[in-house]
Amino acid sequence: MKLTRQFWQFTACCALLLAAGLANPAASLAQESAAPMPAASVVKASMYVSHDPVPRGQDFQIAVVVNIVEGYHMNSHKPRESYLIPTTLTPQLPSGFTLTDTVYPNGELKKFPFSPDKALDVYTGSVTLRLKLHTGASAAIGATTVPATLRYQACNNSACLPPVKLALSIPVQVAAAGTKTKALHPELFSSAGPK
Amino acid sequence: MKKPAIMPGWAGKLWLALFLTILVAHVSGCKGVASPGGAGKPAAAVAEPNVTFKDLEGNNLVLSSLKGKVVLVNFWATWCEPCRGEIPILIGLQQKYNAKGFTLLGAAMDDEGKKVVEPFVKTTQFSVGGQPATMNYPIVLGNDDIASQFGGLLGMPTSFLISRDGKIVKKYMGALNENQIVKDVESQL
Repeated sequence: MKLTRQFWQFTACCALLLAAGLANPAASLAQESAAPMPAASVVKASMYVSHDPVPRGQDFQIAVVVNIVEGYHMNSHKPRESYLIPTTLTPQLPSGFTLTDTVYPNGELKKFPFSPDKALDVYTGSVTLRLKLHTGASAAIGATTVPATLRYQACNNSACLPPVKLALSIPVQVAAAGTKTKALHPELFSSAGPK
Repeated sequence: MKKPAIMPGWAGKLWLALFLTILVAHVSGCKGVASPGGAGKPAAAVAEPNVTFKDLEGNNLVLSSLKGKVVLVNFWATWCEPCRGEIPILIGLQQKYNAKGFTLLGAAMDDEGKKVVEPFVKTTQFSVGGQPATMNYPIVLGNDDIASQFGGLLGMPTSFLISRDGKIVKKYMGALNENQIVKDVESQL
């Protein structure tokens, strides 16, 4: 069978209509049904350690870089309203480690369509949270992991996702006291610090 | 010059049938309602789930017992700013349409349940038409099991409009548009 130009043009038209037909119900429901993303998909976290190895008796830091999908925000660590769920980073420290501080970045004040008169203190884009830790004399030498939980609650411009507890696992190499160590990722751990 | 060949007759009929099918699907899709958990898929109204809620006093509230009324089931949480933002609209709906056979049902999804929901419901004042008002519609406690019977919730607020004969006729994800919900409720009364 010889397929003509008209045949292919007609086929292309049908394909376009099919695509429109499949897409349109979603589009027509968009005002009422802008489906949010699954809560766990909105945030990606990457972990970094300030030193390798970490000698016993030394302070070190862990940075958690949180990337938030465009169009979404999450409450900062200090949301302005007490009922909002703050972002928290909580380590479950192995024996021999102590937490000296948790450093949260400042949020930004933003208004949203659902809160036009009240600015909310939120994180958007990429933010870095830091754990300041100390390796004690009893910390096991060798490879270990520091588990931590990132808790966040994200929203887009019209809906909020359920709070999420994201389990993190940060590998740390512990060495004997006095072992030479290399400072890593100064862009994250310098005194100025990241955003 | 040889005239280009046209489509064989059977192929033309096949494509015409396909075209009409797509056209019908397209048009009906425009008027389709969201099936629970599947926004965007045109579907006929589906029966409401066989759900029993607990109210704040611990009493059972069977959803099907509201058959005969138009019901808007609104899943919300106290920590959800857009949920809070639409509560004045919901209070207004209940004020305006409750006597006409409509009721709202607020299903609170807070993990802490009654402990946080009850004080919020009893004490939080909203401005409705310039007047202070508290939540004037039944509040029940939701949970993931109940939400899954509605097809699952990705976020809040999420609301379901149920017709008098107990069918979910529309699903709303995200903050409600006041004009739209008023129109939809009125169309069911």
